[in-house]
Amino acid sequence: MKHNKKENVPRASGDNGVIVLENITKRFGPNLVLDNVSLVIEKGKTTVVIGPSGCGKTVLVKHLIVLLRPNSGEVYFKDRRIDNLSENELNKVRTQYGFLFQGGALFDSLSVAENIIFPIRQHWEITDWREVEELVKAKLAMVGLDGYQNQFPANLSGGQRKRVALARAIALNPEVVLYDEPTTGLDPIRSDVINELILKLQRELAVTSVVVTHDMTSAYKVADRIIMLHKGRIVADGDADHIRNHPHPIVQQFIHGQVDADDLAVLRMSGKISQAQFLPRDFE
Amino acid sequence: MIGSVGAKTIGGINNMGRFGRFVWQSAIASFRICTSPRAYALIWTQMHIIGVRSVPVVMITGAFVGMTLAVQTYGQLAAMGLEERLGVLINIAVVKELGPVLAAVMLAGRVGGALTAELGTMNVTEQIDAIRSMGTNPIRYLVAPRILACLLLTPILIIYGDLMGIVGGYFVSVIQFGINSQAYWTHSASGVELWDVTIGVAKGFFFGVAIAAISCYKGFTCKEGAQGVGRACTEAFVASFICILMLNFGIAVVCKAIYSTFWSLKTLV
Repeated sequence: MKHNKKENVPRASGDNGVIVLENITKRFGPNLVLDNVSLVIEKGKTTVVIGPSGCGKTVLVKHLIVLLRPNSGEVYFKDRRIDNLSENELNKVRTQYGFLFQGGALFDSLSVAENIIFPIRQHWEITDWREVEELVKAKLAMVGLDGYQNQFPANLSGGQRKRVALARAIALNPEVVLYDEPTTGLDPIRSDVINELILKLQRELAVTSVVVTHDMTSAYKVADRIIMLHKGRIVADGDADHIRNHPHPIVQQFIHGQVDADDLAVLRMSGKISQAQFLPRDFE
Repeated sequence: MIGSVGAKTIGGINNMGRFGRFVWQSAIASFRICTSPRAYALIWTQMHIIGVRSVPVVMITGAFVGMTLAVQTYGQLAAMGLEERLGVLINIAVVKELGPVLAAVMLAGRVGGALTAELGTMNVTEQIDAIRSMGTNPIRYLVAPRILACLLLTPILIIYGDLMGIVGGYFVSVIQFGINSQAYWTHSASGVELWDVTIGVAKGFFFGVAIAAISCYKGFTCKEGAQGVGRACTEAFVASFICILMLNFGIAVVCKAIYSTFWSLKTLV
């Protein structure tokens, strides 16, 4: 990766964009995951990225914080190009982001409180531990888990882990919060708790949110804007109504959760399941 | 076929380059955290996990090495009437070669495997990405304390292994075979020089860094899934083992040259 410092100059996005992706292309070996994607994430809004599994949603969101660097294209944060910064320079920029990972990515060896203290300890000079304890309490209260400070991640349910991870993601009061599949693996009620939390954070902290999901209930509930990715390209971009009424068949198929006609044909041609099963009597 | 060989060669060079870069970043991070008192707690924790918990296994290894050497060599020396010189043979072998190498191999298995498995699991569960996303350098937070702990404690563990090897050899030679204790120690003291002990212990610094660097690198670059972590652990142990043997050979050649040049002059001084 070449770091062209000369290009690291402020860029006027001209609109309300806090993060701007310009012509991003990303390949993993021969696989083209993002194909010339351009996107402006608007300040204070919740942008939801939808699309089928493997279409490049997580790769896209990791480019927003430069956890992955593009093969070509540029990433800007508040008009400053960041994809060509060194890791040390990026670390300063990343303190303005919060990232909720799909599995939570909590540190197993640390308690809930220690997990939330982790970013605070890395970036703030702690002089009064009582203040930090109060802060942890406030962050946990925000996600409805005050009192869980001394629990370890292994003792928490999937939903609780995601809420703790969210408390950790907002520990440094970030301007942007990125959510990677926040409701995956949760029951509908727990999913709705997470949706409400996303809305609450936007309402109370005025953060810019980017949510990657394939849960349409969640997408319709939290989104100011929905973007659909398909085969590494943006195929739809607009508010919930725009997506609902989008003419593209891929979009309609995805939002209604319909199986592809080709897949259906393969399933019908593949014979009866009972013919493919080995029963205990077959081994006798 | 030529294409396949070429591709493998390029892949190998790429891997070496990535590993070299990782080691370089780790070395810089290690120097930096030495001057950061906030990081001492991390180093201390790793010293406990890597060092203190490895003491029993290294001591047991050392003891059996010493005892086995005594059993294997007593017959030949006794046949020549040189059994009282058994101590020299056992102690020099333990202190200079077998103690450091076998202690390091034990550490590569116990500590290296654990480091790779821990960091590999953190990698596949996105915990390393989480550290990066919070604006922290994962090499500085995860790798540097482990490298420093291995660097500082491997020589000490080798000393424990050596001591137990000497005790094990003494136990079999003197208690079991009935060699005169005073003669055993007198010959040992005359045969084992401070240089031998120094070289044996100094090897620990190189072995410790190699084990930690290889194991952390394999953890950081492991593929997804249980199979990926398992494969990374195996590769880490094999690479560490080969590296220990190569380093041992390299150090032996260099030390021999230094010894021949300078140590023989000590009588003149």
